Amino acid sequence: MLRPVALATTRRLPLADPWCTMVPGGGLRRGATVAVQAPAGAGGLSLALSLLGAASAAGHWVGVVGVDDPGVVAMGDLGVDLRRVLFVPRPRGAWAESTADLLDGVDLLVVRPPARASRPLARRVMDRARERGVVLIVLGEPNAPWPLPADLSFTVTATRWRTSAQLDARYLTVRVGGRGEASRAGERVVMLPDHRGRAAAS
Amino acid sequence: MERFLALWVEALAHETPDGAASREYLALLDALTALCPFTEPVRWGWFILPIRAPSRFLGGETVVLDAARTLVHDVTGREVALGVADGLFCAEQAARRGVVLAPGATEGFRRSLPLEALGRRDLATTGHRLGVHTVGDFADLARARVAERFDRGVLVLHQVARGELAELPGQRDGRLAARVRELRGDVVVGDEQRGFFGSRGAGDERAAAAVQRVRHRLGSGGVMVATLRGGRTPQDRAALVPWGAPTPTSHDDAPWPGRLRAPAPVITLAHPVGVGLRDVTGAPVRVESRGLLSGAPDTVVWSARTSRTVTWYAGPWPTVERWWTVARRRAHVQVVLVTGEALLLAAESRRWWLVGIYD
Repeated sequence: MLRPVALATTRRLPLADPWCTMVPGGGLRRGATVAVQAPAGAGGLSLALSLLGAASAAGHWVGVVGVDDPGVVAMGDLGVDLRRVLFVPRPRGAWAESTADLLDGVDLLVVRPPARASRPLARRVMDRARERGVVLIVLGEPNAPWPLPADLSFTVTATRWRTSAQLDARYLTVRVGGRGEASRAGERVVMLPDHRGRAAAS
Repeated sequence: MERFLALWVEALAHETPDGAASREYLALLDALTALCPFTEPVRWGWFILPIRAPSRFLGGETVVLDAARTLVHDVTGREVALGVADGLFCAEQAARRGVVLAPGATEGFRRSLPLEALGRRDLATTGHRLGVHTVGDFADLARARVAERFDRGVLVLHQVARGELAELPGQRDGRLAARVRELRGDVVVGDEQRGFFGSRGAGDERAAAAVQRVRHRLGSGGVMVATLRGGRTPQDRAALVPWGAPTPTSHDDAPWPGRLRAPAPVITLAHPVGVGLRDVTGAPVRVESRGLLSGAPDTVVWSARTSRTVTWYAGPWPTVERWWTVARRRAHVQVVLVTGEALLLAAESRRWWLVGIYD
């Protein structure tokens, strides 16, 4: 019996609440580049890792390149299945090459380029991700953004901690944008992390 | 002297050329570490763990003994000899005899051991000729008399016999720790072969192939995978180990008293950075003996030129680990800076350390 090689749904990787309601199609399109931009310490890494949660829980392999000391406990709380995560914490000078190598083995990949990524390198990594059908999530800061336009972008514009006797939750104001349908997505406030360490609608 | 549970798996006393014994030994080490995080590999075939903490936690020494026996059986299917006594020397002798000594009974047990237990044949033969048959008889000899007749090594044994030293020289295999690291760091062949039985999907094969390419580029430590284990703080609970190292089968569900609550920092520094924490007068903030801060934190100081104002803080949450031997006292505080960043700081050995960032 003949079956279609890839169903429309399998070309999108699942996203958990609240991201699925903020993104056109409710998921991450394979081969797309997603830019996450936030000032240092303002939740960019949490946001990028939480985008992995649903797909990782569904059995997809994920990679994390260039994040020196990932908080593994926090990643578990964000829903990432730690049995299927490959970390390349210190790619040294070879971040683009390591990313390209790893793109062959995973379905989603978070990369934090060291300082400013050059356009040609960025282009090459994006092309490779598109060719391999991998969702490439790039982390940037306002003063060192990803040099090329992405298919989808999440920008943290404001953060506020809710506290009690300890840190409870953080409200992130996130602007979603991108190409095509995504350009109309708008701005939302989400809790990341909430009191259980997950992402939640606020 | 600390009370130990010694485990002896005779079948794993030597490394086998095919690596099967060492793999079993490592698997067993991981499983025992899940039972008690202070499990130590002593020699091939031997483990010890301080029994006091797990027996409090699980509800009695017999429970721990049963758990250990079941665990060895489940992981390797082999017989294990268990012994409980004070100090490594007596714990090992107890395990060889399969006895669990009541607290306080170690002294009598040590004295009743045959002289051969000290592991020197010349001492044993000479001793028997002189009418010294047990470790206790030997301990009663005056130190000067022993020194007249034997070399310095026997003087050390004399101290062990008297209970002044807890273990024999060479009782711990000094090369074992390095060998364990080596075995974990390198690709363990058995780990890679699971695919033959269909337990790995196509995605796993693809990931493994990509890993080999990155490792080729960056070296064997280039690709890491995560493990979770028991512990109180996020940095204790998480570890990144090189790809290919056997991952512990332990699960992280056991409640740890004093564990920091979620949310956990999304960056945990493997090598904490020393920072200064000052109160509003500029004096360093200290954790006082009653577990309170000497003043409210006002500034976090990275260097002479870089500092940030603290807008909110919480804590301290003290954790004292292994207080019955070498105390490791720590206290954690959370701070939010004027920039909106939130940090987890730990006070240890009279300094503050940046251990986590809530990025």
